[in-house]
Amino acid sequence: MRRVIWVIFVILTVLLFSKACLNADIPDLQKPVLRPKFETKDADYPIQKNVTINGVDYLESQLPTGKFGGTFVTSTIGEGPKTFNPFNSKDNISSTMSEIMYDGLVTTNPVTGEVIPKLAKSFTVNGCEYIIKLRKGVKWSDGKPVTADDVVFTWQNIIFDGFGNTSTRDSVVIDGKLPAVEKIDDYTIKFITPKPFAPFLRMLSSPIAPKHIFEPAVKRGKEYFDSFLSTTAKPEDFVTSGAFRLKEYVPAQRAVFERNPNYYVINKDGQKLPYLDKIVYLIVGDINNQVLKFEGGELDEISLQGANVARFKEMEKHSNFTVFNIGPDTGTMYIALNMNNRRDDKGNFYVNPVKQKWFQDKNFRQAIDYAIDRKNMVFNIANGLAEPLFTPETLNSVFLNKDLKPYEKDINKSKELLIKSGFSWDKAGHLIDKFGNHVEFDLYTNAGNTEREAIGVMVKQDLEDLGMKVNFKPVEFNSLVNKLMSTFDWDMVIMGFTGSPLEPNGGKNVWLSDGTLHIFNQRLEKDLNSPRYPFEKRLDYLYTQGALAVKFEDRKKYYDEYQALVYDEKPLIYIYSPIRTGALRNKFKNIYPTSLGGITHNIEEIYIEDN
Amino acid sequence: MQILLYILKRIVQTIPLLIIVSLISFFIIRLSPVDPLAELRLNPSVSKETLQKESERLGLDKPIIIQYGKWAKAFLKGDLGVTSNGEQVSSKLKERIPNTLLLTAVVIFLSWSVGIPLGILSAVYWKSPFDRALTILTSIGMAVPSFFFAVLLLIFAVKTGWFPIGGLTGSNYLEMSFGQKVLDIAHHLVLPVTVLFTLSLAGLQRQMRGNLLDVLDSDYVKFARAKGLSEFKVIFKHAFRNAVNPLITLLGFEFAGLLSGAALTEYVFQYPGLGRLILEAVLKSDINLVMASLMMGAVMLIVGNLIADILLIITDPRIRGGQA
Repeated sequence: MRRVIWVIFVILTVLLFSKACLNADIPDLQKPVLRPKFETKDADYPIQKNVTINGVDYLESQLPTGKFGGTFVTSTIGEGPKTFNPFNSKDNISSTMSEIMYDGLVTTNPVTGEVIPKLAKSFTVNGCEYIIKLRKGVKWSDGKPVTADDVVFTWQNIIFDGFGNTSTRDSVVIDGKLPAVEKIDDYTIKFITPKPFAPFLRMLSSPIAPKHIFEPAVKRGKEYFDSFLSTTAKPEDFVTSGAFRLKEYVPAQRAVFERNPNYYVINKDGQKLPYLDKIVYLIVGDINNQVLKFEGGELDEISLQGANVARFKEMEKHSNFTVFNIGPDTGTMYIALNMNNRRDDKGNFYVNPVKQKWFQDKNFRQAIDYAIDRKNMVFNIANGLAEPLFTPETLNSVFLNKDLKPYEKDINKSKELLIKSGFSWDKAGHLIDKFGNHVEFDLYTNAGNTEREAIGVMVKQDLEDLGMKVNFKPVEFNSLVNKLMSTFDWDMVIMGFTGSPLEPNGGKNVWLSDGTLHIFNQRLEKDLNSPRYPFEKRLDYLYTQGALAVKFEDRKKYYDEYQALVYDEKPLIYIYSPIRTGALRNKFKNIYPTSLGGITHNIEEIYIEDN
Repeated sequence: MQILLYILKRIVQTIPLLIIVSLISFFIIRLSPVDPLAELRLNPSVSKETLQKESERLGLDKPIIIQYGKWAKAFLKGDLGVTSNGEQVSSKLKERIPNTLLLTAVVIFLSWSVGIPLGILSAVYWKSPFDRALTILTSIGMAVPSFFFAVLLLIFAVKTGWFPIGGLTGSNYLEMSFGQKVLDIAHHLVLPVTVLFTLSLAGLQRQMRGNLLDVLDSDYVKFARAKGLSEFKVIFKHAFRNAVNPLITLLGFEFAGLLSGAALTEYVFQYPGLGRLILEAVLKSDINLVMASLMMGAVMLIVGNLIADILLIITDPRIRGGQA
């Protein structure tokens, strides 16, 4: 008897405990909010101006003068940088860190997206000719002057000769030829491209290397160069031109950068920037730890995702930070249909011929497009922190075709389109094509990506409204890539790309019919000469011409038409672009977040105000 | 002499074992569908030539058996190869080993110097309130999963601000004096050490208590007591020496765990140790790094067992007799 009482007692205690936990959790639950519209100071950021003092060409900050000193602590997720050599970096973290240290000739206006001078004092473009004037009196961090020799060396001996990561080189090859670079005098350089090639100007933002440091490494060959200035290099070995330079790197913990006392940006009082003494990048393994570190006060800045945004917005009222919304991201989420119509080595079709008829039918693709409820996905999956997307260029792109209007889900229009192509419904409401086949196909995405999995579930439901049977199969990322890139045994897939808001030509691997990421109709090496769909031919033409035209207005025409074509043909059905949000401590001043630049794009002008 | 011969025999025995371990691990990693280049393949700005170059550099274009042969040949020469980022595996490991050793050594030292006396005490005061209280505490310690405990402590650190949230050194470590550096590291170590210490203390204390209780019940202890020896002498001279054998075996395992035992805790606390490095390497199928760490783990386990066996021979005359 006593035992029974004990058992009841224990069960009751446990129940009471669980009840307590439940209660405590409820106030934390919040409904997803519609994209919080909080103001950004996008337009009023004043661009730095050229000034010449005592023969030295400085850039003058137009922002209020601040106080010197202090540290800015931010973080990166993952393993940390793999190299500090700007020419070897293949991942975002390595590039970010090397870009702090090495400036390029030009940079991007964080408000308008135009190309503006950086290490160059000015530039002129005349067809294929680019004349760059360098700033006089700018010094490397070891005191040696930055001259035309450094620029020519960087472009000729490092980039064009194929040292390190060759992606810059690959993207400036025009008809198999490289541009030429020559020194005119100590402070003037001329680039000549084989043909007019608009994206080249923006490529000039590649970092410039100090010749006297990099030349010995280049002479020792490519293999040595791959390990040159890697993460094991001593901080003293870095001779840099950027606002900050490496001070300390502790693997898996942090990278610390200190101010470059020779930097060429000054404030209105003529003092050399940057204001901050140090930037610390903490290397954290995952998002949860990053959020904890921010809440614990160890971080000054964090970028926020999903449910955290609403929580931080709530905390903002009684905390010392501000949540910034910097508008749509360059990321895109899309559905692709496999339009492959070729056979494998054994003579079998990659895609079942029955399904091919559907996927290659424009009406079928448009019907799917109209059946998808993008708004619903934005609300329920992205917590309202995304913007429905209908074009391949993202919403912050300077090339966005604004005539292509968004539309709502319209199931009747979908049905009309399907009927036009001879589809019908059986008694049970299943969709059948004109040959009597039930419409049933597989939908893939990479397992583990909860966002894409959630989209998959909703796409499946939306398409079931049309009577299609969709088998949703999240698979492991690597096997998915294998399906997409070599075996082609997929029907429909949900994937994402990151684009550039400034340069559509970066998407050529996706849109050119022989591109390496021509995902909806990927061609293997042996199939490169296979027939193209008419719209693929048009895309090839538009993309090639868009890169050759030089004036922005001319280029815009080509890229407008390409977007209109994709909007109409729907080889990729775009769903939404996430909105970027981040939090930053209030003690930092001179903060001018822009959609293109992010929150801390003007890092050298940011200072800390004491309380 | 006998012992030397025995050690030699054991070392020879490990060679086929290591070959089998390496074969199995290599093939399992390579046959898993993880493609180290998948990320690059889906990046629009990466060209075909770059992909081709990468796959040649990593040797992915050759059959698995040749890849293994190449790896084994280099391994025998003492060359652990390069990681998928092109860094030397050996220097990568060297960066992390001291950090992990620091953590695990502190934990092992603490848990043994606290766990053994506590085990003895609770065996001596068997069924006393002290023993019962300890039993409850250690049961909790054994039942709580380490990662969960670690997360709880992290939240504790966030809410109170008393402890740093993960990591090993503060961001201004470089400018500290020596004394401050030591304090800084100690401050960072408190939480991870607490997690691992609680876990291993519980197991060790239970083990010691159980062993000693078994021995205390035996005839020779009763005889020693009957002889009129002091209780202290009975326990330390007669009972303890006999109860300690299983713990020596345990010590061998602890040795193996020196480098790999703290992976989960390291990950939660973002501790810059081997565990985090290897976990990240496995996720990307960075074969040279994973293989190096697996082989290191295997060698450590074998060496740990060998040390335990030798210690047993030294402490226990019965085993020494059996060996001859």
